[in-house]
Amino acid sequence: MARRGRDDDDDEVEEEEEDEEEAYDLDDEEDDEGDDYEEEARGRGKAASRSRAPAGGVRKRSRQDNFIDDSAIEDDDEDEEDDGGSRPRKKGGGGVRGFFDEEAQVDEDEEEEDEGEGEDDFINDAGADIPDDDAGRGSRSRHSIPMRDEEEDIDEIERQVRERYARSTHIEYGEEAADVEQQALLPSVKDPKLWMVKCAIGHERETAICLMQKFIDRTDLQIKSVVALDHLKNYIYVEAEKEAHVKEACKGLRNIYASAKITLVPIKEMADVLYVESKNVDLARDTWVRMKLGVYKGDLAKVVDVDNVRQRVTVKLIPRIDLQVLASKLEGRVVAKKKTFVPPPRFFNIDEAREMHIRVERRRDKDSGEYFEMVDGLMFKDGFLYKPVSIKSIHTQGIQPSFDELEKFKKPGDDMNGDMSSLNTLFSNRKKGHFMKGDAVIVVKGDLKNLEGWVEKVEDTTVHIRPKISDLPKTLAFNEKELCKYFKPGDHVKVVSGVQEGTTGMVVKVDGHVLIILSDTTKEHIRVFADHVVESSEITTGITRIGDYELHDLVLLDNLSFGVIIRVETEAFQVLKGVPDRPEVVLVKLREIKSKIDRRTSAKDKFNNMVATKDVVRVVEGACKGTQGPVEHIHKGILFIYDRHHLEHAGFICAKAQSCILVGGSTGGRRGNGMDAADARMGALRSPASILQSPGRLPPRGPQMNYGGRFGGGGRGGRGHDALVGKCIKIKSGPYKGYRGRVKEVTGVLVRVELDSLMKIVTVKRDDIADTPTVATPFREPRFSLGSETPMHPSRTPLHPFQTPMRDPGATPIHDGMRTPMRSRAWAPMSPPRDNWEDGNPDTWGSSPAYQPGTPPARPYEAPTPGSGWANTPGVSYNDVPTPREGNYANAPSPYVPSTPVGQPMTPNSAAYLPGTPGGQPMTPGNAGMDIMSPVIGGEGEVNWALPDVLVNVLAAGDEGPGVVREVLGDGTCRVALGSSGNGDIVTVLPTELEVIRPKKSDRIKIMNGTFRGFVGKLIGIDGSDGIVKLDDTYEVKILDMVILAKLAA
Amino acid sequence: MFFHIVLERNMQLHPRHFGPHLRDKLVAKLMKDVEGTCSGRHGFVVAITGVEDIGKGLIREGTGFVTFPVKYQCVVFRPFKGEILEAVVTMVNKMGFFAEAGPVQIFVSNHLIPDDMEFQSGDVPNYTTSDGSVKIQKESEVRLKIIGTRVDATEIFCIGTIKDDFLGVISDPGGAL
Repeated sequence: MARRGRDDDDDEVEEEEEDEEEAYDLDDEEDDEGDDYEEEARGRGKAASRSRAPAGGVRKRSRQDNFIDDSAIEDDDEDEEDDGGSRPRKKGGGGVRGFFDEEAQVDEDEEEEDEGEGEDDFINDAGADIPDDDAGRGSRSRHSIPMRDEEEDIDEIERQVRERYARSTHIEYGEEAADVEQQALLPSVKDPKLWMVKCAIGHERETAICLMQKFIDRTDLQIKSVVALDHLKNYIYVEAEKEAHVKEACKGLRNIYASAKITLVPIKEMADVLYVESKNVDLARDTWVRMKLGVYKGDLAKVVDVDNVRQRVTVKLIPRIDLQVLASKLEGRVVAKKKTFVPPPRFFNIDEAREMHIRVERRRDKDSGEYFEMVDGLMFKDGFLYKPVSIKSIHTQGIQPSFDELEKFKKPGDDMNGDMSSLNTLFSNRKKGHFMKGDAVIVVKGDLKNLEGWVEKVEDTTVHIRPKISDLPKTLAFNEKELCKYFKPGDHVKVVSGVQEGTTGMVVKVDGHVLIILSDTTKEHIRVFADHVVESSEITTGITRIGDYELHDLVLLDNLSFGVIIRVETEAFQVLKGVPDRPEVVLVKLREIKSKIDRRTSAKDKFNNMVATKDVVRVVEGACKGTQGPVEHIHKGILFIYDRHHLEHAGFICAKAQSCILVGGSTGGRRGNGMDAADARMGALRSPASILQSPGRLPPRGPQMNYGGRFGGGGRGGRGHDALVGKCIKIKSGPYKGYRGRVKEVTGVLVRVELDSLMKIVTVKRDDIADTPTVATPFREPRFSLGSETPMHPSRTPLHPFQTPMRDPGATPIHDGMRTPMRSRAWAPMSPPRDNWEDGNPDTWGSSPAYQPGTPPARPYEAPTPGSGWANTPGVSYNDVPTPREGNYANAPSPYVPSTPVGQPMTPNSAAYLPGTPGGQPMTPGNAGMDIMSPVIGGEGEVNWALPDVLVNVLAAGDEGPGVVREVLGDGTCRVALGSSGNGDIVTVLPTELEVIRPKKSDRIKIMNGTFRGFVGKLIGIDGSDGIVKLDDTYEVKILDMVILAKLAA
Repeated sequence: MFFHIVLERNMQLHPRHFGPHLRDKLVAKLMKDVEGTCSGRHGFVVAITGVEDIGKGLIREGTGFVTFPVKYQCVVFRPFKGEILEAVVTMVNKMGFFAEAGPVQIFVSNHLIPDDMEFQSGDVPNYTTSDGSVKIQKESEVRLKIIGTRVDATEIFCIGTIKDDFLGVISDPGGAL
């Protein structure tokens, strides 16, 4: 084909010329040489198309000549595709394209001359980049020789084209086309219509070009334009007055079937069809972009040069180059390509390269006059790789460079502020309504740079501000891109977007548009963009919970490990694991957390003092030696201590209980609410410190604290009743027997209870209620005598007067049981402070010396209790049994075994753990009846559940893991076969070291408590805290509390 | 800044305190309840200096507690933005140091420490000038300016700066001063 030949000639001519003088040849050359490096076929295709680059003048985008221009670009693209395939590169120009290019070029050149001004403005820098003589030369090289015969034709066409578009051109590119004028340009009924024509799929461009060719060849065609859209397969658009014209034009084209449907595009939609999303509008120098392809995929890059004509940009990247591979390649060795390996980004080091015998050339870029290090056709400067890429191969929209990335690009001494690029990128990501009235802003661009002011009004992109300086006009209007929010050090702000979203803090430093914030929660510095924050008085920790888990919760993780949530991130938690020696922080997903550990336990410190939550301990051994703070969580002998001076891990320290000592009492007051009465009491009992504390330091806040927190423990004058308020209790006798409710108020011997089931408040005698164990009751206060009113005490007090003191605290069985031994030791030293106690009731304390001797061996129990004691006061008995681990009790159980046959196995545990009291009650024959409704009043599920065949988690050191209870021994210990199926070793463990495995739906279960204790069934459903159980024996369906259900070993 | 102001509070008193020393008990309880507390509005209540007026007590139904409206004079301490304070350094770390001025905790970020002072880690972490003449470490006394306050229900937290004229160390625990 003659035309093709001509085209090829052109290319060659061009290349020669370029080599001599052209400005952008460096680029091409580099590509030509370095092609082998660019492996992708696509890249090669581009190189080929680029070698014809001067024709690029043609491809300058201008909306003005839709017909030609769009196609020109499409044409280019098509080339790339084709070239990438089979055709030889470089010489690959198709005849049509060659023709087309020339057409376009002629057209443009002419037009540029004619109405160059306006258009240049419109296109902006792109237009400016092309020197006129370039265009001239282009046309010379192309047209001077070969085109004679068709020149007339071309002129004719050119004239036609110009005629056709003259009108619109004129209007459209008048300096400032107002909106109204733009509206006037929209197609009306008078204009030619747009028809959608179906064509062979994948041949849209080809078809369009064929049509154009046809149009050129045959002047009688009455179509106006043809458009093939990249994103629309199978269709092309033809502009024509009538459908018949379209049919006529399409006749005989092989890509359009004769039967093809021709549909009219409604006028309204016409504009949309040709709407071109201006992708690279803001692709200016210094914009941040991301790479789409290749090894650099996803990498941040900075645009250093834009060539809109060739649709190429030069970007600055952090190179990912494997010098080793490069060296071997240069030496000619064949390197097996490992596709999977992507070298990490690293700055290029010339010395390193030289060491590996890589030839590094220093060359001056013809364009910029800057020096680059050339290695294997790649350009480096300052360690960065300068890489020319196609605009299509980069993402330009919505780039949010992270701080880390920006830091890497930052040259030392380059402050973020001067770096307008990050600003540009940031601004383009701004949300609508970014500025609000009253915002403090600073001007970052233009003449008034650094002017501060306040936003007065916002209109679209224009922001009116009231300047801070008084001499200036009242308001000034700025483009929002020229403004940046402004904060002063000390402002309290909230981050509203970006990685740190949600956190609040105080501005410590303002560094241009970058703020350094001291986070409220972590007390760490955070760097954020001023754009991402708003002023706020709110104090948040960001998100504090996901699902059921909240910041600072103690959670059980997958592999039986546990930890405290120290930070909540968007989708994961940071958990400080319960490993005492070194802080171990893991990031866990929500699903990796098994459950929350929400249990009140206690542990023994180095001197065997009981440590409960909120107690202040000091770490005396280990890595965190010397730190001190309140205990936030206890689990398996590990304490999580909160030290406000400890900045890491949100102030949490994990330590073994054994390496801590208890220093003070409860510090409940600090938290204001975090403690329950039981703790307060224990704290006060145990620790003189809490009483002696200076009044100012831990001021009680609010009435509740008054009693619960500080004095409550002291049992001052019967105020203990307040501890009962708000507790859930059960009425155990009287007309409301069996009802459960919440205590609203306590008045002397009367208690006002809000019944759960009746929605009313009733007054009952205090003796008539069975409070939950934690409530326990005031104690040893003969004067106010509340102690005597608690249900379980009265009988006891007279019975074993001697033991009262000991029992009394027992009101809170949990602690009591656990504490008894300790107290025997610890109490003696405490008596002096007690005397100082302002409210210390002498009569109460009078008894303390008495019990002191009495306590140690706990012998009194053995004798007096058996018959009467245990039988009469079952609840109490459990309290006292507690401590199987204390040697002296070893034989204690025996006497009462017969008396409470059912309850027996349960005792040790209940006592050890807690409540015990009510939990135990159900088991006593007398009370059994009332408990049918609610087998476990204690509610904590810690009553002894150990039953044979139940699946448990063994917590005992060394034997951790699942196991199956084989046998429950007389003293409460269990023989457990390790392994989930129970085929491992058999160990004997204390019930406290066992943890029941909660059954899941449709698990086989055993009921551990209540009237159905021991029954076996199947869990057929779970409803909140209740499980629906079908009993094996009777096929009855029962609703039982989940806590009394245990999974049965398979 | 310290203020001597009059505040009012409703005190609840248990009936067992009724008697000749009722007033004393009330005052004692007031002190216990109030001193050391912090409110966003008034700051920390440092001390009660006197009771102006005790209103009529009202017996609350059901409990027997009596509510007295009490007016009392007290000294409160509230830090303000821009205020210059003297504080004792309690902790030094690489992000800056914490100092306490009475009950108020103040953090001075390393961005707000003069640029010539650098963090030295080690046994006693400190900030030292390049010539070693000035050192900020635990127990040092510094004069600082508060640039921001954050008021919680129970605490006031401040951010301070020593990057200004006449601010910085005023006495060194180890120094001969």
